[in-house]
Amino acid sequence: MLAPRAAIGLGVVLAWEVAARAGDPLLYVPPSRVLPALARLLALRSFPSLPEHLGLTLREILVAYVLAVGVGLAVGFVLGLWPELGRIYAPLLGALYAVPSVVWYPSLMLLFGLDAASKIAFGFLLGVYPIVVAVLAGVRQVSRELVTMARAFGAGRARVFTKVVLPSMLATLTGGLRAGLALTVVGVIVGEVLGSKAGLGYLINYAYGLLRTADYVALVLLTLGIVLAIDGAAVLAERRARRWT
Amino acid sequence: MKPRALQAVSVGVALLVWEGAARAGLVDPLFVPAPTAVAIALRRVLGEALPALGRTLLTALVAYALAVCLGVGLGLIIGARRYLGEVLSPFLIAAYGVPKILVLPWIILILGTGAAPAVLYGTLHGFFPVLLLVIGGVRDVDRSWLTVARAFGARPWQLYSRVILPAIVPAVLAGMRLGIVFALLGVLVVEMFAGVRGMGAELAARANAFQAPELFAATLLVSTVSIAIVLALDALGDRLSRWR
Repeated sequence: MLAPRAAIGLGVVLAWEVAARAGDPLLYVPPSRVLPALARLLALRSFPSLPEHLGLTLREILVAYVLAVGVGLAVGFVLGLWPELGRIYAPLLGALYAVPSVVWYPSLMLLFGLDAASKIAFGFLLGVYPIVVAVLAGVRQVSRELVTMARAFGAGRARVFTKVVLPSMLATLTGGLRAGLALTVVGVIVGEVLGSKAGLGYLINYAYGLLRTADYVALVLLTLGIVLAIDGAAVLAERRARRWT
Repeated sequence: MKPRALQAVSVGVALLVWEGAARAGLVDPLFVPAPTAVAIALRRVLGEALPALGRTLLTALVAYALAVCLGVGLGLIIGARRYLGEVLSPFLIAAYGVPKILVLPWIILILGTGAAPAVLYGTLHGFFPVLLLVIGGVRDVDRSWLTVARAFGARPWQLYSRVILPAIVPAVLAGMRLGIVFALLGVLVVEMFAGVRGMGAELAARANAFQAPELFAATLLVSTVSIAIVLALDALGDRLSRWR
């Protein structure tokens, strides 16, 4: 599998090089110019303040994700363990999911301003939904018989939860937590690009606005690398959590 | 009480609490206007918002049609070749998951700020969910059905029209349901980012002008229309699966 994938990757890079060389150098940046730009970016020569911007973006992602996990788990378990509530409110949440999320962003900007708070709010909003859905789906997977059995053998509510409910829904739950993280990252970055005063998205906009196309592409590659690294870490964490059961 | 009634009651109570909080001055009406103020603003913004919404929906429809055609077509091709699907899958999943807004500035740079970048970006958003669901649908078609059909002398196009296509209807429908929301999202993002005329630019302009009642009214309008479209697709899906 690795050889054909590497070949595809190489082919894309080559095609990009050839196509970009034929085009306007202001608009099309071939990889041979991106690499030096990336080196300049990482050596902090293009944007000396890169670490601060990067740090801000990562902090926004972290805060948004912590909020999304906390609220997502709480809402999910409340709606999942009390089915009467779930029947009423889960469909309402589902209806909200049929709305393109970016519709809410202008309101969040108005409410929270151009600073970090509106990006955290948007990242939270995107990330919380898959977590709620995963908890709801996971709770439904728990077998009634196992719960009854555990209770019959004298397990209390807390023990039933940690020994029966949690292990049998773990795969679904970790999948939701991972999807929530990916969407939180997307939300924060989209928020930054659409309007901000600092962060990676701001830098991308800034480079693009000045037509520093090579620096823009380098920033995009850096951001993509961070996004993929975060998801890679989430995959590893998910595998570990699954082995634990 | 039925869930429907309880839902209506809950929404009603929430609106009443919100109205009360706004009237009592617990929230700043400059940022969180009362529901009644939003309702009044809705009548005011309708004249500007409806044409903008029409443009956005039209652009999204073009993007959606492209995304579904490309997604189903390529999905059938890639899904039928197990090896190809396996080689491509990490690329496709990564392309689906990464924030596509990173390439938006470049798209605007190349295509300018007309309808073209909005269509392209909307297609880009709608395409991947359709593609991934169709690939999965084709891959999971029961092999024994294909063997049986071949044994009875079915030709390749008959395999597609009689076995594979009916079998992947649920996957296509699921993709279409996700695709419309994503295509609309893509168009709205371009309008917000580049000021392309449409509902996204309308929302951004209201936010920048601190016109909270108008902004909330316009947001309400887009979200209602979007929910209605998805519900209509769901109803269509129910009919199609009965036909199957």
